[in-house]
Amino acid sequence: MYAESIDSIRFSVVSPEMIKKISVAKLAIPDTYNEDGYPIDGGLIDQRLGVIDPGLRCKTCGGRAKSCMGHFGHLELIRPTIHPEFARLVFMIMQSTCDNCYRVLVSEKNIDILKSAEDEQIASMAKLKSVKKCPHCGAKQKKLKFERPTFFYMDGERLKSDSIKDWMSKISNDDLAVIGIDGDVVRPEWAILGVLLVPPVNVRPSITLENGDRSEDDLTHKLVEVMRINQRLEQDIDAGAPQIIIDDLWELLQYHVTTYFNNETPGVPVARHRSTRPLKTLSHRLKGKEGRLRYNLSGKRVNFTARTVICGDPNLSINEVGVAQTIAERLTTPMHVTLWNIEKAKELIDRREYPMATNVINSDGVRKRVTESNRIELVASIAPGWIVERQLVNNDVALFNRQPTLHKMSIMAHRIRVLPGRVMRMSVNAATPYNADFDGDEMNLHIPQSIEAIAEARYIMKPTDVILTPRDGSPVMYIDEEGIVGAYFLTSSNTYFDKEETCSMLAYAGVSEMPEPDKDGRYSGKSIFSVLLPKGLDYEEKGGAVIIKDGKLVEGFIRKQTIGSGKGLLLKKIYMDYGGEAVADFIYKLTRVTYMVVYAKGFSIGVKDYLTNQNIQRESKKIIEDTQDKAREILESYKKRSMEILPGYSSKETYEMLVHAATGNARGTGVKYIEKTFSTDNMAFLIPTLGARGGIQNLVQMLMFLGQQSVRGNRITRGYSGRVIPYFKKNDRSPEAKGFIASSFMDGLEPREFYMHAMGARDSTMGKALVTAVSGYLMRRLIHALQDIYVESDLSVRNAAGDIIQPIYGSDGIDTIYETL
Amino acid sequence: MEIKKNEIAYGEPVGVVTAQSIGERSTQMVLRTFHSAGITSEVVSAGLPRLIEILDARKKPKHPTMTITFDRKMASDYESVKEVKTKIEEVKVSSLLGGFEENLKAGTMVLDMDKEAMTMHSITVRKVMEIISHRFPDVELSNEGSSISVRCRKRKEIKAVRTIFVNIRAEMISGVEGIEKAVVNADGDLFYISTSGSNLKGVLEVGGVTQENIYTNDMFEILNAFGVEAARAAILNEMMQVFAIEDTKMNVKHAMLIADAMTYAGTIRSIGRHGLAGDKESVFARAAYEETIKHFVNAAFFSETDRLRGVAENIIIGRQITVGTGRVKLMIKNKDLEKIKAED
Repeated sequence: MYAESIDSIRFSVVSPEMIKKISVAKLAIPDTYNEDGYPIDGGLIDQRLGVIDPGLRCKTCGGRAKSCMGHFGHLELIRPTIHPEFARLVFMIMQSTCDNCYRVLVSEKNIDILKSAEDEQIASMAKLKSVKKCPHCGAKQKKLKFERPTFFYMDGERLKSDSIKDWMSKISNDDLAVIGIDGDVVRPEWAILGVLLVPPVNVRPSITLENGDRSEDDLTHKLVEVMRINQRLEQDIDAGAPQIIIDDLWELLQYHVTTYFNNETPGVPVARHRSTRPLKTLSHRLKGKEGRLRYNLSGKRVNFTARTVICGDPNLSINEVGVAQTIAERLTTPMHVTLWNIEKAKELIDRREYPMATNVINSDGVRKRVTESNRIELVASIAPGWIVERQLVNNDVALFNRQPTLHKMSIMAHRIRVLPGRVMRMSVNAATPYNADFDGDEMNLHIPQSIEAIAEARYIMKPTDVILTPRDGSPVMYIDEEGIVGAYFLTSSNTYFDKEETCSMLAYAGVSEMPEPDKDGRYSGKSIFSVLLPKGLDYEEKGGAVIIKDGKLVEGFIRKQTIGSGKGLLLKKIYMDYGGEAVADFIYKLTRVTYMVVYAKGFSIGVKDYLTNQNIQRESKKIIEDTQDKAREILESYKKRSMEILPGYSSKETYEMLVHAATGNARGTGVKYIEKTFSTDNMAFLIPTLGARGGIQNLVQMLMFLGQQSVRGNRITRGYSGRVIPYFKKNDRSPEAKGFIASSFMDGLEPREFYMHAMGARDSTMGKALVTAVSGYLMRRLIHALQDIYVESDLSVRNAAGDIIQPIYGSDGIDTIYETL
Repeated sequence: MEIKKNEIAYGEPVGVVTAQSIGERSTQMVLRTFHSAGITSEVVSAGLPRLIEILDARKKPKHPTMTITFDRKMASDYESVKEVKTKIEEVKVSSLLGGFEENLKAGTMVLDMDKEAMTMHSITVRKVMEIISHRFPDVELSNEGSSISVRCRKRKEIKAVRTIFVNIRAEMISGVEGIEKAVVNADGDLFYISTSGSNLKGVLEVGGVTQENIYTNDMFEILNAFGVEAARAAILNEMMQVFAIEDTKMNVKHAMLIADAMTYAGTIRSIGRHGLAGDKESVFARAAYEETIKHFVNAAFFSETDRLRGVAENIIIGRQITVGTGRVKLMIKNKDLEKIKAED
């Protein structure tokens, strides 16, 4: 709730004064526990910094392990040490200021100009590097050099941290303002540390191993080392050790401080644990995918969720999800008690079995578990304004999600149906947008916990609300595979059913109204289909292939274009004219009717459908020979150098491309032949023709030949020198030697062909695996770049800063889901 | 009325919608450039690599190409189109050679000119010699028939001699720099030129080529020659091209939004850490993306303020996001509230 009141957050560097103010303890002993296993006072586990062991009390706030949030301590570094992350910025300031009078290297006149212009910051600094003479005191500037991570040189001589700190502290706030630093908030000398803030123990908790030994956190280890060197440095200085020894220790202290902040600083050896494992220090905690920002702050964990295996259920609507009883019992939804539902709330609290209340939240926001002992008391004290958390029942709403969550249709709101079993069930048609199948896929279920969230789920997140994808305006849920086949049987001419069949079909679909019989008391498939349509629908497909008038199918049969993926024109029409619920209704009814049609008519394919005959074999042979001839022709023109070379490619590459195109085309020729000669009586041919599944090229591969295999987009050339496998002669350039397979799946493959096929298959499998990584990162970048962009109420498109990106969205302000491509 | 119904909703996070539409499709794209759909003489880089190239706003595309069309009259005349082609195609000494022999110790080289290639590009031995002697005053030239002998005037180290000889062979004789290859193609009975390599400004100086009929897939060339609006159109066009080749349907509005987002600042900015995502006003949003430490350190030193107006930073501090339904608030009129209270 505090978040709501934050207006903005300003970043700054913590000053030494602030560190001392924050700190509850000055630490000086580079150790953790004494021999008795008790925390040393002034050590790194000082009890004033908070406690992590149960039973102990914090010496600062008196709280126990859970209630004490921890307190910072500090340690005083005997010699100033540069904060490694700020070193680069300190150097920029050194370059921008005079090494004699510590003024900024900008003349008074230009200072005024710079001050009036905002956001000059680093841009102006870059130019100051080249200023040779101070415009204020006239001193010639010495040559500065910075060596990562923390070494500074002036005219080749090493500058120590204390002199840099001195330099920084002499720059006036007015001069810093020119560089872009607000001296009232951040002083550059703070980047050179005199005191080091030590985080509370619960930030770096130690863990107790089984044998009772304690294992400290990496940060504690690092801090011990910082303190140890600090202590030695102090002793040596006090003892008046030679300068060389002091400098060495100083440098070692700098090393430990550097790695304490960032153990991956370039140019610094990695600090390691005793086991040679690199220590995870502060920057590791923030950085990267598992870092604080991405793992904990941008990625929030939530309660009220469930995850199990999913399963298809043809009896569910696309707006429903089947939830196991065990899940429904554990998850709850809030019920806000009002005057109107208080009786219902009391009843739920009083119940001892399934649909019952599990928790109540009173008007002060205190959550209480409903138990056997407090049940009566709760029923008595409940009042409007309380919230009762009750178990899920049918028609509650839940968000259903499958990962990877690639688009908004990967999280949709389904109505709950509590069903037996342990899996979550969903309509087969609703699986498409999730890209789910039921071979063991798991999905997540989230129960919205606020009125706003529930309303949002119910009114704009149902599958039928998002059935049209904004990508191209086509439906993402449709009828496919056996549904397409069934719809074809149902609506093609001369399909008639008797009264009994019609009744059972429509009853199964939940339709109670019968169409008029067409002839001899029999019902045509078209009339049955028409009953499923919304009343009064008018629809016409391009060229009049399918015509629906006043809710009656009068012409054509239903194809993939009408109800299937890609276009789904009829579905879109229903959505536009009747709304999402009508589409869900239609899909539900049609799916069930088509299943019944396929069931009644029977539909099977067998080896018979895939038998070749002499004609096919003759044609296959011809195509293969033609391909070989073509390849030979190209080879000759390549050898004679008479080939037209493609721009941007060498002649060899051009040759390969041309041959690959020629051999690749063989399959296309086969497809044309099959399309020309086969009839829809052949079920194996009917399936791809209707668009129910697969393509004709699958048939070609089964009946005629496999065609060209490729690896990395080219014909197969890898293997031994000049040949793929020793079966071939060296430098054989014929199609077969480079992966053209003349056998069909029905014939079976020759061993050499099998080898080529396996190469191609392996390449495509790997390609798929690699593309997911590349496109995943692309998506992350796109989302980060575009996530703040939204439509303002004047239809302009803006980002978070309010910049106008488009004056009117898409130049007409129309939502892309309503457009048809 | 119908238009109003189909209007985009207030607060709609169109940026995310676009990112998802494109990102989700990109999962189904192939990593490599493929040419299965027949062979055209135009080189097109396509698929995911090209899409990434566009979104990254790479300074040079991997396969720069230009398309030069002509008005009806000129386009139907093969000869005049071919003339333009010869004028723009880069011809180097090396591409005119039948072979060469060099003696680095003696500092001599004999260039054996290929007669066929010379006539094809209508270049004479004399012209080649002129150009070489003009560019390389340090060498002496003489010719016998179709071969040219080159001799260094002063004795030099072998390495220096070699550098000179290599440079001579790479010297451009005619054409426009960067146009490695040009071919005349036919679209029906109209001829046009496609090239590999791109040099908008150079090609525009060639006679017969007009601004209206020239195109390159290098968006920075378009930016420099014609400005941001043209560059925006180029990004849009190139993206739609990728989808067209992939046979992916994609509403132009998504490409438009990306093109606009990349160019609204007046120059081309990439998607990603050095462009749009790295230029955001919010420290948290930048830190949550990439280079976390760098952003925090700079923000601290320059005492930056995060105004918490974007999506990422609001998620981080734990409040509702600023787009979509998170933008609107439910309000009730005081009057109505009084009424409800009275009823209770």
